[in-house]
Amino acid sequence: MPAFSNKCINYIPIIFCVLLAACSSVPKLESGAVAPIVELPEDREELGLLSAYNDPWEGFNRRMYYFNAKADEYVLLPIVDRYKQITPDIVETGLSNFFNNLGEISTFINSLLQFKFSVAGETFGRFTLNSTLGLAGLIDVATPIGFAEQNEDFGQTLGFWGVGSGPYLVLPLLGPSSLRDATGLVFDALADQQSMDVLGMKSDEELYLSLVNSIDARARLPFRYYASGSAFEYEYLKLLYKKYREIQVAR
Amino acid sequence: MRILSVLLVIILAACSSMEDEVEVEVALPVCDFEYSRYQATVTGYCQEPAADLPESLDVIHKRITIKPLDEISEVFWFNKKMKYSLIKQEATAPLIFIIAGTGASYDSAKMVSLQKSFFQQGYHIISISSPTYANFIVNSPNTKYMPGDLAHDAEDLYKVMNLVWAQVQSEDEVEASSFSITGYSLGGAHSAFIALLDEEEQVFNFEKVLLINPPVSLYNSVSILDQYFDLRNNREASVAMFDEIFARFSNIYSMQRSSTFDQSSIYNLFKNAELTEDELKLLIGASFRMSSSDMIFAIDVSFNTGAITYKNHTIDKLESLTHSMQRASDITFGDYFDRAMLPRAQREDANITKADLIQRYSLHAIEDYLKASDKIYLVTSQDDIILQAGEVEYLQSIFAERAKIFPRGGHCGNLDRLSFVEYLQATFQGERN
Repeated sequence: MPAFSNKCINYIPIIFCVLLAACSSVPKLESGAVAPIVELPEDREELGLLSAYNDPWEGFNRRMYYFNAKADEYVLLPIVDRYKQITPDIVETGLSNFFNNLGEISTFINSLLQFKFSVAGETFGRFTLNSTLGLAGLIDVATPIGFAEQNEDFGQTLGFWGVGSGPYLVLPLLGPSSLRDATGLVFDALADQQSMDVLGMKSDEELYLSLVNSIDARARLPFRYYASGSAFEYEYLKLLYKKYREIQVAR
Repeated sequence: MRILSVLLVIILAACSSMEDEVEVEVALPVCDFEYSRYQATVTGYCQEPAADLPESLDVIHKRITIKPLDEISEVFWFNKKMKYSLIKQEATAPLIFIIAGTGASYDSAKMVSLQKSFFQQGYHIISISSPTYANFIVNSPNTKYMPGDLAHDAEDLYKVMNLVWAQVQSEDEVEASSFSITGYSLGGAHSAFIALLDEEEQVFNFEKVLLINPPVSLYNSVSILDQYFDLRNNREASVAMFDEIFARFSNIYSMQRSSTFDQSSIYNLFKNAELTEDELKLLIGASFRMSSSDMIFAIDVSFNTGAITYKNHTIDKLESLTHSMQRASDITFGDYFDRAMLPRAQREDANITKADLIQRYSLHAIEDYLKASDKIYLVTSQDDIILQAGEVEYLQSIFAERAKIFPRGGHCGNLDRLSFVEYLQATFQGERN
């Protein structure tokens, strides 16, 4: 999920290229295996939504999905729990608001890039209010008085300009994405970094901050791997991600 | 219904600027949708005010080994051990078991509504997934009887209940003054069969048994749901309708001022989408099909039936399952009945016919018991979509004064509504210690 903005993103494309080619998800059948009784329709188009999205990198994606589920259980969630334990609620909310407020900058840039001036205006209003009256973003004063939070990222901007989503891609720790959206993520992360630079932060402070930002983002996401209990969760999530992004881009 | 959770998953899984946790149970004033039994089934009977229930509960999520873990396929690595939950009172209290509906887990949204009601009334609560839920199927040592075979499901559930009860006594020091059991939808029918079994086994000696929106005949009910999403005879139209619904949601979302999703904007989405009756049916049918796909896959893996997977093949945990999901979408429950349940039953008894089985998997099979047993209660809606013409009257005649039939609510659409919760309170009141 693109919510984590993390410096490591910069290396990821290289690792991908190595890994993507390496795995396959085609079943290795034993000699006694018998083909399933229920046949697939000859024309896959007939399946509609269930075959709407190709997944050329499925082998890699499934591996990563499995890795993410394990990493979530053994690393991320324990950290999140600890974070929630030691941080008073009011501090948690304050930090969440603070990071949201920083995020307004890339929303603002991206709405301008899509000529969505009303969205840009509203976001600018939020940012100004929250940065001043809201004490550098720690308090969200804009939402209660009717400035709605908007959501535009560089993936959507690319989509707006007609860039197709490209193959589905499961990112390490971040989860569902696509080639286009992962590219957008790098841009948005750079924008975030710029805003922190403008605030005059040193690089180790920035590192801490993005770490806390990542933990905060995970803490706010109620998603739990395999809470659905379904063996098809990978498929469902892929469909939902693709659909959701289409809807967002169309907006 | 599941479509709401599907929408929620879209939001939760995909969005980059989540603000507050989206809570399913946010108390809202009544909605102003046009009422229909389908709408009530999908969005809940939101025209009636919600009951005043606790916002959240201290749920103890538990796991128990039922089947040796190394016998469970690696493709279900995340489903090793059976999951259930315990919600306990401070002191000794009556205990109620709740059994989930078709394809649902111990912590589905409807289970949570029931848990809140019973907790408020002073019960310890043990929640158990449906025997049609993948986690239950792959952890059950049974590889002989197909889920949906009510009497055998009840035996399975009964064993699980015994093990679970022993576990919570030793690990959580739960002390129960009495036992009751309830369940919604298929879980309601299961409760009745379990109550009958307990008359012989005498382990729990249930004080009260409540069937909530049960099917009368499993076969009739699922035949209705099969028709809602008719991929077999009407694939093109169904697929097109799906795209149309998505397109409409998408349009409404783009017109909405804020990009956030919360309970009220989801309601808004539904309101403005003005879904037709056929579209609502499609959503209900599709969500049913989704859970039956999960069920069929779990059965295939556990029983080596080879319907949508390769028979005699060990599925690797990283192997593509897309083909199985696509194949599953083509199976109606009718097929499952004819091609899986019937042959299984005939293996045991060659003379058995389809009509016999339809009878066996229905409340008709234990009609005399239901009529005679004073502790068994029934609550449903006059317009429950899973009941065929005449079945409400049948329930009324069997349960007589122990039946409560609400005029509205669709299928389980009113479990967290005021009058329903008041009914629960009135029915279970005598048991409070």
